[in-house]
Amino acid sequence: MSSPPIPVTVLTGFLGAGKTTLLNRILTEQHGRKLAVIENEFGEVGVDNQLVIAGEEELFEMNNGCICCSVRGDLIRILGRLLKRKDRLDGILIETTGLANPAPVAQTFFTDDEMKSAFRLDAIVTVVDAQHVLQHLDADDEAVKQLAFADVIVLNKVDLVSAAALDALEARIRGINAVARITRAQNCAVPLDQVLNVGGFNLDRATELDPKFLEPEYPFEWAGAYPLPAGSHELVIGHEHDHDHGDGHDHGHDHDHHHHDRDKNQLDLVILPVGGTAEPQLTAARNLAVTAFAGPAVRSQPGGELRPGAFLQRLMLAEEKGTFRLLIPAAGSYVVFEECGEVPLHIQVGGEPVKPGWQQDYHAAHEHNDAVTSVGIHQAGDLDGTKLNQWISELLRTKGGDIYRMKGVLSVKGSDRRLVFQGVHMLFDAKFDRAWGQDARENTLVFIGKNLDRAALTAKFQACLV
Amino acid sequence: MELTKHWAAQLEDYVIDLAWAPAGGSLAAAAGSGPISLFSAADGNRLHLLPGHEQGTNCLAYSPASAALATGGQDGAVKLWDCASGQHTATAPLGRDWVEHLAWSTAGLAATAGRKLLLLGPDAALRHAFPEAAKTLSALAWHPTRAVLAAAGFGAVRLWEVPTWTLEKDFPYGNGIQALTWSPDGRWLVSGNQDPSVHLWLPAEDTELQMSGYESKVKHLAFDHTSRWLATSGGLNASLWDCSGGGPEGREPQMLEHATPVCAVSFQNAHGLLATASTDGTVNLWSPERKQPLRATVRMPGAAARLAWSPDDRLLAIGSERGAVYVLKCEP
Repeated sequence: MSSPPIPVTVLTGFLGAGKTTLLNRILTEQHGRKLAVIENEFGEVGVDNQLVIAGEEELFEMNNGCICCSVRGDLIRILGRLLKRKDRLDGILIETTGLANPAPVAQTFFTDDEMKSAFRLDAIVTVVDAQHVLQHLDADDEAVKQLAFADVIVLNKVDLVSAAALDALEARIRGINAVARITRAQNCAVPLDQVLNVGGFNLDRATELDPKFLEPEYPFEWAGAYPLPAGSHELVIGHEHDHDHGDGHDHGHDHDHHHHDRDKNQLDLVILPVGGTAEPQLTAARNLAVTAFAGPAVRSQPGGELRPGAFLQRLMLAEEKGTFRLLIPAAGSYVVFEECGEVPLHIQVGGEPVKPGWQQDYHAAHEHNDAVTSVGIHQAGDLDGTKLNQWISELLRTKGGDIYRMKGVLSVKGSDRRLVFQGVHMLFDAKFDRAWGQDARENTLVFIGKNLDRAALTAKFQACLV
Repeated sequence: MELTKHWAAQLEDYVIDLAWAPAGGSLAAAAGSGPISLFSAADGNRLHLLPGHEQGTNCLAYSPASAALATGGQDGAVKLWDCASGQHTATAPLGRDWVEHLAWSTAGLAATAGRKLLLLGPDAALRHAFPEAAKTLSALAWHPTRAVLAAAGFGAVRLWEVPTWTLEKDFPYGNGIQALTWSPDGRWLVSGNQDPSVHLWLPAEDTELQMSGYESKVKHLAFDHTSRWLATSGGLNASLWDCSGGGPEGREPQMLEHATPVCAVSFQNAHGLLATASTDGTVNLWSPERKQPLRATVRMPGAAARLAWSPDDRLLAIGSERGAVYVLKCEP
C-alpha cells in the first residue's frame, strides 16, 4: 500500500542570491510533473498549474530552545495536508528565508514519523551570490551553515567575478563543505537534474568526492626518499643561490599554497631510514613520522648536526635559510618528512645535490581558515556494529551540536549489505541498503561541522574496526 | 450483529472530512480539493454539491441547532451553507492562514486560522477574537456541558470560558499536539501528541497523566459514551485505555490489533461499538467489554481517512483517501 517517498528539495541562500530565480526556473521547466512549492513569503512565485503555498517559519523547540532539537512545525502541518490528496505529488520544493538555519528543516524529516515515511529529503540546495558571499561568510554564521548543510551549491552570478576570484571562492567553500556538488551558474541557469532528484542525502556519490579530501590529513605536507651513502652531508633549507631546480625539492609546481601561520624561521622535519621505497616500507615510515610529529622537538641551529631517527627535528633558520650537517650512519634510503611543503629543501653529497628517488605531497591538517570544515574518513575493513553504535551515540550526544551533517556508507561485520547512514546534528538514520556484491567493502564517512577534530574522529573510527 | 453495505459514492478527491447532520437525514463529505457533497442518508443520493473552498476544503461541522453547515478552507475563510436549499449563506474571511478546525456548540462556532482563535455567530458574524496563540492552533474541542472551549497548539492547551472570554486554565505541554477531546462527562481532557504520547488532564482536580509508549504520533482519539474507554491511534494497534476511577495510570491498555498503522478511531454516540481503521483498508468493529472484543472486519479498497457514526448509531460512514464514501448499516 505504501508508495515510495516523495522527494523534497530545500532551497536556501541569502537574500538576493537568486533563490527565487532558481525556483521559477524549476517550475517553468518542470512540465508534466506535479510539484508543490512551500514559499517563505507571499507572492514571489506564480506559475500556473503548480501548487504554491505560503508558509511562515514556525519552530517547534522540543528541548529548551536547543536548535538540534527543533523542527519546523509549519512544514509538518503543510506537508501533512499535502498528503491528503488522491493524486500523489511528484516533488516538493521548500524555499527558506535568507537567514534561515537549515537544521530544523532537515531535522523535520528525521524526527516526525509521518514526514520520515512519506517524504525523502532529496537535497539541500544552497544558492550563493559569487560576488557577495565572502562578506556574508565573514560576517554571518548562518551563511556558513547554509554552505555546510548543502548537498548542492549553485555558485550564481559568476559573470560578475573574475576566474581567479571564483577559484579562490570555490576553494574556500570546499574547505567548509568538501562533499557538496558545486555548480557554477549565471542567472541560476543550471541543468535541473543537478538540483532535483540528486539523491544528495545518500552517499552513493562517494566516489565523486574529491579524492584528496578523503585522504587523511597529516602533520606534514611533503616527503621525499633519498638514496644516501654513509657520511656527513649537507641539508640545505631555502635557496642559497640560483641553480637548476631539477635536482631537489623545490615547490615551483602546482602544490596548494598554504596560508597557515607558521614561523618562517623554523621548520620541522622527521628523517627516517627505510628499507626501500616500496609501499609497505613507506607506509610504516609515514605512520612513524605521524607519531614523531606529535612528540617533543629537538632543536638544531644552522650548522648543527642532524641524525636520522623517529623524533621531531626543529630546524632554526635565519632569513628562512639554513645549512645543516646530515650524519648518515649507513648507506641506504632515507625519507625526509617536511612540515611545510613550500620551503625548498636540498640534500647535497660532496657538494652535489641528490635527487629524491620518490616524493609525495600530503594533505595537511592545518590549511583551513574556517571553523566549519569537513572531515572524511575512507578505509577498508569491517566494523564492529556494537562499537560503531556506541561511538556514534556518544559522539552525537557530546558533539551533536557542532556536527551539522554526517553521511556514510559502512561495512559492518556480519552483514553482506551496505550500511548507509546520514545525520543532522544529534539525529541520525541508518539502514542497510544494497548488497556489496563485487564492490570492495570499504567505509566512507563524512562529517561537516564546527571545530571537528580529525585525529580524534579517525582514531575513534579505527577503534571500531574488527 | 449484522453489518451490511448500505450505499457508496465517489468524491473527486481525498475525503478530508465527514459529518452527519444532527437530525440524521444527510451526510456531508468534503473532498480535499474543495467541493462538498451532501448525500441522503437513506440511499446515498447526492442532494447537493457545494463548491466549498477554492484552494481546498479542510474541515466541516454541522450546527447542532439548525440546518447550517460550516466549512473551513485554505482560502482562509469560514463559509456557511443552508443544507436544505444547498445555498451558500455567509462567509467569514479570517485572513490568509488556513482555517483548519471548526467546532460548534450552543455558544457559537469556534474556528482556528493559524494562531487565531475566533468565535462566530450562527450568521458567521465575528463575536469574539481570542488573544493570538504563540503557535499555530492544531486542535479544538468544546467542553461537553459547559461553555468552555479548549484550544491546543505546540506548547500548551488553553481553556477559554466563553461568556466572559477569560482564560480559565493554561496547561503547558512541551510538544506538538495533534488531537484534543473531552470525555462525554467533561471530566477528562485528552491530547494526542507528537512526542508520541497521550496526555490526560483532570481540569477540575488539577491532576494530569502522561501515557507514552506509542510508536508514532497520536492523531486520533475517541471516548465512548460512558467516558470509560478512550481509544487512540499511534501505531500498528489501536490502544484502548480504561479511564474509570483514577484513570489509566498503572493500567495496561487493551491492544486492538491491526496489520498496518491505525488511521482512524470512532465510538458510537450512545452505544458501545468502536470502529477502527488501518492504512491497509481494514475497518474493524470492537466491543471493548467483551472477552472477544473483535465483532466484525470489513476490507475496503483503500485506507479510511475518516469514520463517522450516524446520530442513531445505525450507520457507519467511511471516507477513503481515494475519495470513496461507504456507508455501512450496523444492526445489533
